[in-house]
Amino acid sequence: MSAPLLKVDGISKRFGGNQAVKETSFHVDSGEILGLIGPNGAGKTTAFNMIAGYLESDTGDIQLNEKSIKGKKPWDICKAGIARTFQLSKPFGDLSVLENIMVGGFVRSADRRIIETKAREVVVFLGMEAIINQDALNLTAFDRRKLELGRALATEPKLLLMDEVVAGATPNEASEMVELVKNIRDRGVSILIVEHVMHVIMNLSDRVIVLDSGNLIADGNPEEVVNDPEVMKAYFGEKYVQQQST
Amino acid sequence: MFGTATPLERGLIIIGFLCLLVLPFVITNPYHIHTATMIVYFAFMAASWNFVCGYLGQLSLGHSVFSGVAGYVTVLMFTQLGISPWIGMLFGGLLAAVLSVAIGSLTFRLKGPYFTLTTIAFAEIMRIWFENTDNFIGIPLKGSEGLVVPLVGDSWWAFQFNDKTPYYYIALGLLLMIVLATIMLEKSKLGYYLKAIRGDQDGAEALGINPTKYSLIALSISAFFTGIGGAFFAQFFRYINPERNMGIDMSIDMAIMAIIGGQGTVLGPILGAFILHPIAEITRTTLGGSFLGLHLVIYGTVLALTVLYFPQGIIVPLRRILARISGRAKK
Repeated sequence: MSAPLLKVDGISKRFGGNQAVKETSFHVDSGEILGLIGPNGAGKTTAFNMIAGYLESDTGDIQLNEKSIKGKKPWDICKAGIARTFQLSKPFGDLSVLENIMVGGFVRSADRRIIETKAREVVVFLGMEAIINQDALNLTAFDRRKLELGRALATEPKLLLMDEVVAGATPNEASEMVELVKNIRDRGVSILIVEHVMHVIMNLSDRVIVLDSGNLIADGNPEEVVNDPEVMKAYFGEKYVQQQST
Repeated sequence: MFGTATPLERGLIIIGFLCLLVLPFVITNPYHIHTATMIVYFAFMAASWNFVCGYLGQLSLGHSVFSGVAGYVTVLMFTQLGISPWIGMLFGGLLAAVLSVAIGSLTFRLKGPYFTLTTIAFAEIMRIWFENTDNFIGIPLKGSEGLVVPLVGDSWWAFQFNDKTPYYYIALGLLLMIVLATIMLEKSKLGYYLKAIRGDQDGAEALGINPTKYSLIALSISAFFTGIGGAFFAQFFRYINPERNMGIDMSIDMAIMAIIGGQGTVLGPILGAFILHPIAEITRTTLGGSFLGLHLVIYGTVLALTVLYFPQGIIVPLRRILARISGRAKK
């Protein structure tokens, strides 16, 4: 088997007295959608921010294509080929949808015409043609999320990190997003997705890992993981697991 | 500028520029030419400020330090070394750019009011140092007394003219330069990056943008132009002192004109200068003698009203009106 696209090896983060992530290791294979789940405060976003360069891991190493990216700044990690979305979307309000996406493209080329052509392709891919010239400020919450996804795609990533992409979305919007994510994977982008909505994770992920209180407690295919007693304990408490087994 | 402009707007811009071009043939009173030169000069300064602050959305109130330093370099190179102010101007601009990188790498770590306060602090430190230094390692700065550019008579080489008109055309040339530079900025990677940093810094970083690097690039270009303006100012009055050329008043003028006109646009700051400087000038000359300070009250009222009703600058409602007119014309 070839080496994984992303290899996370024993990363930790401590905030004062709180060990948010503890010696956690996992990997993302090429062409894979990896789901990262866990209860609130499990350290998902912290792990995420360490990969994206917004936080530096206290220990261990993070490798993309066998090259260490630990300690690099967010912009260098983007150039290396990892794009991300934010839990709270961060559009550039007074730029139009097209301009927002073009900003992402400049990391690969300085030629405005090439970037504009590529950005228009992304707009079509997202199905946002009708609002291409609207200011991001005037978009609905869900369109902002899609826009952020488009911006990330414009940087031509090998790996896309997605943080809670369907939070607050209607069921229709959520299934649209699921389709989009699958299409992105089909374009050859590997995906690490943090998500609370279980049916989205079950639908999308090829493999799921579970964090609880900073520890990795499960790794496997989605059905295995949701039936794992450790995972149930993390989500529902010891008592629930005992009741289930009796 | 022409990217999203309607034909009507393009027409008005071209007519406006042609009017400025033939202005000295129409008005002959030296005082009027002087005022026109100052308006164009302030438009240039506001546009230079806008080049970084407008697009980045950070309020610098310390830009006068660049104009002051470059002005001193120009005058000193002329009086001490006999180098033409045209060359001195470029050196001054480059030194201002270098200085801006030093100041910017410290201040760009801060955001909002903290950034503004540190820019004021740096500019004031420099001004006070210049005011209290008569001689710096053999360079005669002459403290608060300032430096006089010795008169050599009508000479392009010495940047001195008996008539005001050449100064006017030089200022107009500078204005044209900054307008072209800003148009290029709007279309360039740097322009997009600055707007992205203004929109959301974390979001920008995730798209491969190093905010400090691109802010510093833009600041150094802005400081270069501001320095050129400072050199022009010193040559125009043939006199430079820390208070006038480096004081906070000039920084505030640059910022306010750009904000009132419309920061982050090509023509907004120019519009701001063309509205505010005449108001300041007219109220000062007509009311300055009889009601001391009343011109400042009127100036302040105009500012307050604009900020209240057109927070994005006068250019925004103006463009809306023009769009309506041209829409009606089509029907």
